[in-house]
Formats: sequence, C-alpha cells, structure tokens
Amino acid sequence: MNPEKPLKTPLYEAHVARKARMVPFGGWLMPVSYESVLVEHKTVRETCGIFDVSHMGEVRVKGQDAEKFLQSITINDLTRLQTGGGQYTAMLNERGGMIDDLIVYKLGADEFFICMNAGNRTKDFSWIESSCKKSNLNVTVTNESDVWAQIAVQGPNSTPVTASLLSPKEAELLRALPYTNIMPVTLYGKPALVARTGYTGEHGYEIYLPVSLAEKTWMALLELSGEHGVRPIGLGARDTLRLEAGYLLYGNDMNDDVSPLEAGIAWATKIDKGPFIGRDALIAQKTKGLSRRMVMFKMLDEGIPRHGMAVFAGGSSAGEVTSGGVFPTVGGAGGMALVSSSLKEGDEFYVDIRGTQKRAKIVKRPIYSAKTK
Amino acid sequence: MDSQKNLKFTKDHEWVDANGTTGTIGVTAYAIEQLGDIVHIDLPEAGKTYKTGESFGTIESTKTVSDLYMPVAGKITAVNAAVKKSPESLQTDAYKNGWLVKIEISNPNEVAALLDAKGYDSFIKE
Repeated sequence: MNPEKPLKTPLYEAHVARKARMVPFGGWLMPVSYESVLVEHKTVRETCGIFDVSHMGEVRVKGQDAEKFLQSITINDLTRLQTGGGQYTAMLNERGGMIDDLIVYKLGADEFFICMNAGNRTKDFSWIESSCKKSNLNVTVTNESDVWAQIAVQGPNSTPVTASLLSPKEAELLRALPYTNIMPVTLYGKPALVARTGYTGEHGYEIYLPVSLAEKTWMALLELSGEHGVRPIGLGARDTLRLEAGYLLYGNDMNDDVSPLEAGIAWATKIDKGPFIGRDALIAQKTKGLSRRMVMFKMLDEGIPRHGMAVFAGGSSAGEVTSGGVFPTVGGAGGMALVSSSLKEGDEFYVDIRGTQKRAKIVKRPIYSAKTK
Repeated sequence: MDSQKNLKFTKDHEWVDANGTTGTIGVTAYAIEQLGDIVHIDLPEAGKTYKTGESFGTIESTKTVSDLYMPVAGKITAVNAAVKKSPESLQTDAYKNGWLVKIEISNPNEVAALLDAKGYDSFIKE
C-alpha cells in the first residue's frame, strides 16, 4: 500500500471513460459509483452487476507441507476441503486479533490459492512469508497480486453472463460448480480461475484473470447489458450489498484487536482442528466468556448510523457502530455494531448520531437472506 | 442555470431566494450531484433561529453526511415536509420543489454579500 500515490487497476481507464466517480480505497483509486449507488445495488439484486476487484491480493502456497503450513496460520479447517473447494477463513495474531479475513481455495493436494483484502496485501504477505520461514516446512509462497486482475460477476443472471466467456464444456462445469468452489478455465487462450463466491449476498462468481485480459473481458461482459442487464457496479453499492448480507469489512468491522469469535464468525473458527496462531487466545476468550460481540441492527428512529458512532444501552456506553448505512433492498437504515455481549437479538439500544440518541433494534444477521447457495 | 439567475449562493452550495425579509433556502443541483444518492435529510422545526453560517441540518447520501449552513441569519418559518419524506426528489429538482426551509431574514443586507449565479458558476468550475 502506498498512501501517497494511489495504485490503479488495469481497468482504471475503462472506469474513467465511463465517467465513474473515482475515490481512494485501501491504497487504490477505485470507482465508487458509475451512475447511482441505489440503482447499482438494485441491478445486482435483480439482474447482474460486474465489479472491478483487481485491487484484491492473491497468494499461492505450494509444496508438500502447504496444507500443514496453512492449517497453522488460519482459523478454518483446510482438511475439510477437496481439490476445487474453497473456504472463508482468517489469519490471527498471537492475541487472537484478526490480521485479515481470507478465502483459501485448494487447487491441488499441495497447492492453495488465497484471496486477501486490498489494503492488507503487503501486511498479509509479510506475515505469511515470515511465518513460513519460522515453520521450516517445505512450502513456497508467492505473492501473485500483480499477476491477477479480478472481476466479480454478481446477481441472478451471473451464470449465463460468466458462461459467455467460456467454452461449452467449461460452461457446463460452471453450471455444476458448488458454492465456494473454484475451477480452472481458459480465457482468450490463457489460464484463469473462476470461483463461485462473492460479497453481495447474491449468486455469483469471481474471475481471476491475467492483467492483460482485464479490459477485453470487462468490455465483453458489458456487451451483455441488453440481454442480461449487465452493468458496472462501484464500491458504494458493494458496501450496501455486503452490509445487507451481513458480510464483514476488514478495517471497518474488524481489525488486529477484534477476534473472529467477537466478529461473529465462530462458524469458520475450528478451535478443535489443532494448533494455529491465535488459538490459545481464542480458548482463553471462550473460557472467560466474550465481553463484546458483533450484532446486526436496524434503526427504529430516523437517521443513518455510520462507522465509529457510539452505542448506548441502559444509560451507559455499550459499544460502537462498525458499519452503517441504508438498506436499499430491505428498507430503512442500520448496520453492524460491536456491542456488550449482554445485548441480545430483539434488544433495543441507542446510536449517538451527531449528538442525538436514536433508537435501534438488534435483528437477525444477516438482515437480507443470501441467495448464494 | 438560467432559472437560477435570481438566486444567491454560498460557497457551501446553499442557494437562497430572497425577497426583502422573506427567504427560501435550498442546496444547489451541483452539490446534489456531487453527493450522489440522497437518502436522508435532517431539517429543523419552524421557529428556530440561526446565525449566518450556522448548521441548520444535515443532508446525507449513501456514503456521506454534510451539514447544511445558513446563508444568512434568520428564523425558520416553514420546512419542506415533502423533501424530508422523499429526499431523493432533490436529485431531479433541487430548486423549484426542492427548497428546504423558508426563513425570515434577520438582516436583508447580508444577502448582497453572497455569490450571484455567475459567481457561483465560476466558483464550482475552479
């Protein structure tokens, strides 16, 4: 990450040509919207949106001990994966705080592919590399972040849209690809990967493709605007979509001081799988009981909660909003908050919105039921 | 901007239509466009008095919240309930039906110090 000069993805020129509003994000200049956040949000829920997520980082981990090594630095259990499978996971520091949340794909018995957050690319890779050196295991780690562009295709029409890039044989395999799985494909004669994952709560795919093919592929997908309603989607709608779907955003909802148990991803935390960095801290946290946890909430009063706003319950401080905004599909406003674990679903609390306490209610997370499966 | 030629403007992108001690205040179409989707607007109740430059409310888009500042000192006499209910309507009409509050101007001489349409136009092109 270079805070002085934001990086540009291979699709930067295409975004500017389409008059996207460009903003700095995680060290990158990214499109926040092309026309309207609300219209883009609706497009993804109803037809199909494509996202430039080339700023995300990728690491390849290869070697006889690749699985053993990754088991030791991530919270989920990789032994549950078959070749072609993927899983949501995280890397922790010794204190049990999250270094990053990740998706790890198993490409082969001794080969894994990791997708990491844009703003954490450098930090993550250094951590993986130094952990690897310390481990003395037979593993090679390669930072492939500059090798891959990434385009996410999300929405009800994303299967025919993604299939349009593939051979008939690949298209058939794509239609059978289970959620979170990945498959190798050939794009314009070059090797690429397609995973059935996303960050919107809709059915969709994420395509890892060589940087040199990014623009050609992007333009080809936009050609499907008529038939399949494909539109480019910016980070603004990406945020409202993921918020409704209850997905966490690193840097907003969690950081080096928030544990996966507190963040509400205990389902991806397999303490019983054996030792991994941060495990002892999690066990201690579990024994002692969590003092705070992530909840999803909806505003009952008017007003829009935002990251960092204080939460009050029973007259005293009870935590803070980690992500907030409007819920374009489900209606109203709300977000996620890290609050005292004494607060339960259905409880009400107050959000301090610029000096005024506004009523909110804890709801089931996610507020929008994902259509990914 | 032709229909706005009789309005006065601030560098904070408010407009005011002043007629003696009666004023109507809104936010410019340029500012609305910059904000993006308007999802919420917070306006004061009638009867409240504000100084020049004081925040009298907030306007919020999907991503950001901005203060609304009084172009001139005055007392709120009316609030546009329709805009409060459907703030997104500002995106298509920031002037005619998009007014936010009506005020009783404390000192009509203050109006002359604001930018005229031409001045505001060149300001936003800077």
